[in-house]
Amino acid sequence: MSNSVFSVISRFVEEYRSSTPNKLKMIDAYLLYILLTGVFQFLYCVLVGTFPFNSFLSGFISCVGSFILAVCLRIQINPQNKRDFLTVSPERAFADFLFAHTVLHLVVVNFVG
Amino acid sequence: MAHLCLFSLLVLSLVLETQALTPTHHLTTTDVARLQAVLSQPFTDLKSAYYSVVGLSKLGIFVADADETCRFINSNLDPSSVESLFYAAEASQALSGCEIPVTNDTRDLLLATVSEDSTASQIHQSVSALSALGLPLASQEVVSALKARISKEDNVLAIILALQTASRLSQQAELGEILEEIEDLAARLDDLGGVYLQFEEGLEATALFVSAAYSLSDHVDMEPPLKEDQVIQLVNSIFSKKSWDSLSEAFSVASAAASLSNNRFHVPVIVSAQGPAAVSHSHPFLQLQVTDVLCQPLSSASVLVESASAVASKSAILSQAPFTLRDGVFELNFMASQPASGYYQFSVAITGDSRFVANHVELKVKVSTRVAINNMDLSVVDKDQSIGPKTTRVEYPTKAKASFMADSHQNFAMTFQLVDETTGVELTPHQTFVRLHNQKTGQEVVFVAEPDSKNLYKFELDTAERKTEFDSISGTYALYLMVGDATLENPILWNVADVVLKFLDEEAPGTIQAKTLYVPKPEIQHLFREPEKKPPTVVSNAFTALVLSPFLLLLILWFKLGANISNFTLSPSTILFHIGHAAMLGLMYVYWTHLNMFQTLKYLAIIGSLTFLAGNRMLAQKAVKS
Repeated sequence: MSNSVFSVISRFVEEYRSSTPNKLKMIDAYLLYILLTGVFQFLYCVLVGTFPFNSFLSGFISCVGSFILAVCLRIQINPQNKRDFLTVSPERAFADFLFAHTVLHLVVVNFVG
Repeated sequence: MAHLCLFSLLVLSLVLETQALTPTHHLTTTDVARLQAVLSQPFTDLKSAYYSVVGLSKLGIFVADADETCRFINSNLDPSSVESLFYAAEASQALSGCEIPVTNDTRDLLLATVSEDSTASQIHQSVSALSALGLPLASQEVVSALKARISKEDNVLAIILALQTASRLSQQAELGEILEEIEDLAARLDDLGGVYLQFEEGLEATALFVSAAYSLSDHVDMEPPLKEDQVIQLVNSIFSKKSWDSLSEAFSVASAAASLSNNRFHVPVIVSAQGPAAVSHSHPFLQLQVTDVLCQPLSSASVLVESASAVASKSAILSQAPFTLRDGVFELNFMASQPASGYYQFSVAITGDSRFVANHVELKVKVSTRVAINNMDLSVVDKDQSIGPKTTRVEYPTKAKASFMADSHQNFAMTFQLVDETTGVELTPHQTFVRLHNQKTGQEVVFVAEPDSKNLYKFELDTAERKTEFDSISGTYALYLMVGDATLENPILWNVADVVLKFLDEEAPGTIQAKTLYVPKPEIQHLFREPEKKPPTVVSNAFTALVLSPFLLLLILWFKLGANISNFTLSPSTILFHIGHAAMLGLMYVYWTHLNMFQTLKYLAIIGSLTFLAGNRMLAQKAVKS
């Protein structure tokens, strides 16, 4: 059982390394960074306490929001999805990404207190 | 069908009768005396002389010095003024043997004033002067002039003066239309709460209306169209004021009182009890004063109690019992019917004259009595009832010789009966209290003694159960019995005995504290919200580092993936874009530390639009290139 799981995973990693374009790998690295940041914030809350709660929420929502926006960017940039996004060029996707982040950060900074 | 009509009519009349008004305001003898005093003030001019002389004559009083007054009138008379002639003529008529010299000119002046061009007041004055001076006048002309004036001056006072004038005219004249004005005026009266009926012009107008209406009705011998309730409401309005602002107001009240006490149709009856309406064995007679509005006793009246019933039990005591007249006061020996003590509702009827108005009166009469205490038995009963109770009888008003001892194993008991002194009937007064007073500490505790079904009063003191009321303080308590009621003439406060109560000593408080209800209470200290416990700085710093660490990981990964800035074109839009973007991130930091949302949005709008334009250009160039 574990053998098949291990082989699936190694196969997946191999495919990822070879077939994924560099741009997407960069975004994946960014996604990993956001994820870890969110996890560490949550860990703090679980271990130490929720004071101040608004700050925790703000930081956590920031991570979640950034993750989502980056995922959106990755989907829109991926050349394999070009057919689904005929009207959206990668540059346009990036511009949208920046604008959405501006709004997100405005809210997050307002709430962090 | 006819039977039904008759029956409903009977029921309706009964209903109306039970709701008949009785006067709530009337003049007492002191008020009448005050009215006389106001009218007897020395007069300064002809007008005040008229009010005084004529007003007093209406009250049946004649001026002391008639000659002096007559000389005063004659010297102040102005024969060229109708008003002056009116005052002089009326006043001289009220005085006996006073003559006003009349010339042809005077007569002509007065007759000429009777026309449609004079005001109603002038017509009234000239007709009254002519009539008082005994000069002939043409009644029909006056009537037509009055009718014309009434339609022109449609105010209350003018119509009242017209009514007064009409009462001076010959009975053969056609006074029918003027008589109808009484009804029209009565409709203009304001009903205040069903108690008062008055003109909005005030008391004087209402009083003058009453005297004018009755003098005209008497003159033509036709009953005025005023219902009994309306008459009583008018009485309430006119006689509610007991001190008068002006001589004319006092005069109008005197006129109204005179016409209401002596006219052919309606005579309001004032019934009042002499002193409180209460009887007892020492005062067995219920005394009533039955007078007219001027406080003159009605000698022709016969007063009858239609029914008298007890308020509590509604059982009838008297029916159709007559009052006897003695010294101007009507009295009835109510105690002869041997009523039990309490309150009785009397329904009294005054008959004897068909003119009487408000001659059914409801009175509440109190019958008081003296109370006696019988069979006062005191005993100390053991709780387990192993030892039989020793009963001591005490007679009022003596005190029991020995004091009673009761501790937590015993109950102290008291039984007694309250009876009417004369009849021996058992009574249940409102207040029967047992008071225990500790002479040393000044404490007192009051209990209520309750009667059982046989009207025997019982009081039991369970020492153990009641220790909280006594604060467990042992000692000698003086026992008092307090009996009181509104219908008792002799309320009782009787020190019956001394009771020594023993409580368990350990429960007694060290010092006696007076009940502290009104001393300042302890001050409340406000507790501000405690700030939440923060974790130690080390932990916070450690976790801050932990949270920032993935950024390092990101940089490392990006480096490994081969991220570079080799494609960086140094065009102005690119530089502007990057600077703008960096500025936006910096603005976020400044927002966190210094600014509020509005300022941030303002700066963001500026920087954002620049960045957008630059970025747009940059990405477009990039798109073109790739």
